[in-house]
Amino acid sequence: MKLYHSCRKIAFVNLFVFISFFEVFADGTLDEKVKNLTLELRCMTCQNQSIYDSEADFSKDIKKIVRTKFEEGKSEKEIKLFLVERYGEYILFKPLLNYKNWFLWSFPFIFLMFGLFFIGLKIRKN
Amino acid sequence: MSSLVGFISLALAVIINIFLLISNFFIKYNNKIFNLIIKVSSILTIISFFSLMYAYIVSDFSNFNVFQNSHSEKPLIYKISGTWGNHEGSMLLWLSILSIYGFFFSRTENINIKFKQQTLLIQSFLHVLFGLFIVFTSNPFLVNSVIVKEGLGLNPILQDPGLAIHPPILYAGYVGYSIVFSLAIAGLFSDSDNKGWIFVTKRWALISWTFLTGGIALGSYWAYYELGWGGWWFWDPVENISLMPWIAGLALVHSLLMAKGEQIIKKWIIFLSILCFSLSVFGTFLVRSGILTSVHSFASDASRGLFILLIFFIITGFGFLVFLLKTPENSKPINFLFINKVSALVINNILMIIATLTILLGTIYPIIVEVLTNDRISVGGPYFNSTVIPIMIPGFLLMSIAPILSWQTNRIRNARLYVIGFIAISLLVLVQSYLSTFNTWGVLGLILGIWIITASFISIISSYKIDFNFKLLQKINPHIAHIGVGIAIIGITCSSVFKNEYDFNLNEGDTVQIEDTIVKLEKIEMTNEVNFQALRANFLIERNKKVVANIKAGKNYYPVSKMITTEAGIYHELYKDIYFIVGDQKDKNWFVKVYINPFVSFIWIGVLIMVVSGFIGVTRK
Repeated sequence: MKLYHSCRKIAFVNLFVFISFFEVFADGTLDEKVKNLTLELRCMTCQNQSIYDSEADFSKDIKKIVRTKFEEGKSEKEIKLFLVERYGEYILFKPLLNYKNWFLWSFPFIFLMFGLFFIGLKIRKN
Repeated sequence: MSSLVGFISLALAVIINIFLLISNFFIKYNNKIFNLIIKVSSILTIISFFSLMYAYIVSDFSNFNVFQNSHSEKPLIYKISGTWGNHEGSMLLWLSILSIYGFFFSRTENINIKFKQQTLLIQSFLHVLFGLFIVFTSNPFLVNSVIVKEGLGLNPILQDPGLAIHPPILYAGYVGYSIVFSLAIAGLFSDSDNKGWIFVTKRWALISWTFLTGGIALGSYWAYYELGWGGWWFWDPVENISLMPWIAGLALVHSLLMAKGEQIIKKWIIFLSILCFSLSVFGTFLVRSGILTSVHSFASDASRGLFILLIFFIITGFGFLVFLLKTPENSKPINFLFINKVSALVINNILMIIATLTILLGTIYPIIVEVLTNDRISVGGPYFNSTVIPIMIPGFLLMSIAPILSWQTNRIRNARLYVIGFIAISLLVLVQSYLSTFNTWGVLGLILGIWIITASFISIISSYKIDFNFKLLQKINPHIAHIGVGIAIIGITCSSVFKNEYDFNLNEGDTVQIEDTIVKLEKIEMTNEVNFQALRANFLIERNKKVVANIKAGKNYYPVSKMITTEAGIYHELYKDIYFIVGDQKDKNWFVKVYINPFVSFIWIGVLIMVVSGFIGVTRK
């Protein structure tokens, strides 16, 4: 019994940590917004490097575009879609959540559920 | 001449192995002769490898491979390591390491002779597969049809001491799993007792995993200082590929621990053994076929890819087929409770497998999508960060206490101490981060890392009598490994979350302040080295008005291959690295990028502890 107690305590602390998780998504400054987005974009002329980290001409251009779009008041999603239209989905390091990629995004989650289910079953059996 | 010797011994070794495989159906070899045959084939393969190395050392350009990948003006160390700095040579290195493992395995004593022979037979089957692959598609001993005086040179990125150690160590990891694979298959065929099998598997699995850990870390460190991107991990496909067998191997090593609790889940262990080697071969296929472009895919060639794909299907298909046909029965039901060692290990295994599969999916998904829809997509760091890391977090939490859980019951000794410890650390880190810059991942990572270290120390102090000798070290070894992980987590978290960067345009003599450090660009100079031109900016690092170091960063120009490489300059400290990159010149001023990477050294220290602990684990009976 004592153990369940301790587990509950640990769970509470975790909950606390996770709640604070959501506070992060408050609006950042323009620089931060540009940084966060360009970190998720691929420099198409480099090798597996993000636009943010790259000093290639292509990356410099995209950084400028992203900045102007943010200044125009566009949202992150709108800018991403704009870039995808122009350069293809290849530019996104984080694939869009569309019909093509649903398997990619759901798979880890489904597997985790499956694993939890299996563990629950085993515990109950014993 | 050396090429001829090399080719003949390579071919001879393959022939001997084919002969052994076939003749084994008719002749019952006695142990001595059997071992002798294995040893002869191993030695021949190694002779072949050294012949190639000799051809590289003496710059024998009548060998086509040497001509394409070497240059007589290279320093000696790059001539030697250039042996495996190309596709053909690296495959020969792969085969040689396979042979070395076979050689040492044939010397293993106190294990059932029939079982050992079966294992070695599967090993020699693997030798034949890869040997034929080399002879027919990747022969490093082809004769150059024209007479030349000079070679084409080695890719400048590879002209680095990293090339001398990273591939051999990494391959020692990948290929080591071949022994684990062969043991698993032989284990399925023979009904010999589990004890011997488990013990031997544990030893070889741990050896391979330890080498793989070291190999990956070396590669990562190499990328850190050579690519000049300021980071040490990029979720590059080739990195993912090495990570998969690493995580699967981690699951394997932990499953084998369950065998100590007399809870043998043979089925699962065999599954993991086959999986580890399959992933290693699959990785080789992806890299060598040129499907993935990276610094590792030297030259791509479709026929090679197909051949390796074929080998992959033979090995994986054969492995899992035998597994399905001869699935072993569980001797005892496993003792799975709410929280005991077994459940902790099972949960850890499940999480690791999910992580492995997620990485696999993310790595090959772009290929699948491109084949099916002709669209190109990228799956990069952000995907893996938001899937793999959350999956691993419960595992990390569990890891901190797992070693002290009991096998039989739900009880945790000193449970209260751990709970209080965890809450205290959590609060401390939270308060600390609210006072400074708050970042969720930062908080999570720090809590995890510090908690794992603390819990391991609590366990060591409360569970063992401390007297300093090697026996104690062996006993507390799991805790030591976990302390290494904790330290590495702190390093990983801090260096990725709290990294800062600064851009400057500097002229010679300019001084800038970066956080608590004053940096002066003293001078920029050009020099001519043996096989490249170097541009170096000399930075003086000042603390409290005293110069504490001078760091050189710049670029190299390699005239032979007409390539420019970035040479980052790094000032290492225990708590942070100051990382310099020099860019282009614009009206007299040079573009300089400086990264402050906090706690990077912790990653390497943590990994080092894990590797040391891995080797201590090998000595443990």
